[in-house]
Amino acid sequence: MIDVEQMHKSFDGTRALDGFTLHVGAGELFGLVGPNGAGKTTLMKILCTLLPMDSGTAQIGGLNVDIRAREVKRLIGYLPDQPGVYQDMSVREFLEFFADAFQLTGAHQRAAVDRALERSGLADRSRNSVEQLSFGMKQRLVLAKTLLHDPKVLLLDEPATGLDPLARIELREQLKRLQAEGITILISSHILSDLEDICTQIALISAGRNATDAEGHSVVQLRAPQAPVRIYEIEVFGDSAPAVTIVNSVAGTRLLESSADRMVVEITGADDQVAALLRTLVVGGVDVLRFDHRALDLEERYRMVFRERRP
Amino acid sequence: MNPMIRKELRQRMRERRGWLLPSLYLVVLGAVVAFAYFVTTTDRGQSSVQGSTVGVVLFLTLAYSQLALLLLLAPIFSAGSITIEKEQRTLAGLLTSLLTSGQIWWGKFVSSLLFVLLLLVTSLPVLSMAFAFGGIGPWEIFSATLTTVIILACVSAIGLYCSSAFQRSVHATAVSYAIVIAISVVTAIVFFVRLTMYESAHRPTTSHDWYDIPLNIRAPMYVNPFFFLTASFAPPKQLYPAWITCACVFITLGALAVALTLRNLRRRVDL
Repeated sequence: MIDVEQMHKSFDGTRALDGFTLHVGAGELFGLVGPNGAGKTTLMKILCTLLPMDSGTAQIGGLNVDIRAREVKRLIGYLPDQPGVYQDMSVREFLEFFADAFQLTGAHQRAAVDRALERSGLADRSRNSVEQLSFGMKQRLVLAKTLLHDPKVLLLDEPATGLDPLARIELREQLKRLQAEGITILISSHILSDLEDICTQIALISAGRNATDAEGHSVVQLRAPQAPVRIYEIEVFGDSAPAVTIVNSVAGTRLLESSADRMVVEITGADDQVAALLRTLVVGGVDVLRFDHRALDLEERYRMVFRERRP
Repeated sequence: MNPMIRKELRQRMRERRGWLLPSLYLVVLGAVVAFAYFVTTTDRGQSSVQGSTVGVVLFLTLAYSQLALLLLLAPIFSAGSITIEKEQRTLAGLLTSLLTSGQIWWGKFVSSLLFVLLLLVTSLPVLSMAFAFGGIGPWEIFSATLTTVIILACVSAIGLYCSSAFQRSVHATAVSYAIVIAISVVTAIVFFVRLTMYESAHRPTTSHDWYDIPLNIRAPMYVNPFFFLTASFAPPKQLYPAWITCACVFITLGALAVALTLRNLRRRVDL
């Protein structure tokens, strides 16, 4: 649904995007993670037709965003990192104006506005001034505005910034509901735990390029049935040197860390490969005290990728 | 109807200045007319003054002071028009909707100009007083009003350009005023200084015809709104070349401002 190939974009000689590539399938809730200045917002602005790219291609729903910008605008809903509202309008007037701007008229407009009010939970505040809404409500209102024309793709740039924990939970729930409706969502965020909970995949971006995590993945599968590479932490009784020798001799395993009585091992393969390593250690006379699968959470992966790259 | 126009008008009329400015404008204009009437009738002695003379004086006073006031007010409405969208971060929402850059510009332009035209219309009863005294025909009122509208449209377009070029309303408004001062005051100063130098270098002729002055000295005045207004008082058959030249200059300036504003809106680098 979203295809980005070798995208380049510079501002006054500074490279914001440097050959970034991304593929997001239909119906996915896809996360984009990277430190400040990595190029996330630039990518979002190019995808939503606000900025032209210098080179590369970007397509949404098969439409080139540079050439067929108007058709792309019908397909997408864009929520900027700092969304604005018209404080002097009522909630309904705000939605009606944007419904007008998306060429929804008459009964279609009324239905779209009513649906947006219902979706955002602001139906009982439709006559209130936007100024009277809390920050979280304003964020819901802007998201509701983004959904007025039933977009097939949502581009959300740091949507959780500034929200309190309850509002973040509500946002996560709403995004899950939208994904269930078949909307493709590309979301950038620094709130990693939010992305981990809801995203199907996450792409890593650093200095405008695709970044890879410790396991060599530029796209982290969060909903894959079984990860092909797993990390195990092994604790042994006594000296770990014989265990290290065995680990290095078993095919499909790689020693990542070792200390006096502890090792971190990467195992490539299915469960039988894991069982084979444990069996080999025990048969080889190693007293195994602990043999634990260590799931790298997203924050850990993020730290491993970007720790060394922060300028 | 363009959704931008509806939105802009709704927002403008909700602002306090929506009713405050027309009220102040009429008070100032009324005071100017009363002062002009008082000065005219007192200087010449009330019994000997001709009604048509009073009418002409009132009309000219009104036309020039109205233009001066509207030149001061026009940048307020136009220069903050796009910057306010940037300041409240709503411009991205507009540009990613199905509204074109042209529609956004047109909505901003019409709403800015309509408010200034509202002020112009509210002054018509005051202007009709001059009409009632005589000495002024419908043509003079029509040509002066048309000229004022062309000038205000150009100044509004320039204000919108400044609004698209700057991030902050205060900067855009300041530059708009600088441009208004440049075309209204600086051009006149340049003209008079150069004219004085020319006349001191050449023996002044008895003729005071405008077209006897070399074009390079006259040129700055063709961009001066007060000269443009003065040229509009000529009879219909004498509008060429002064009024027509001024109209072409102002329309060209306005068109250039429109083109640059649309380019800025399409570039969108400052969002």
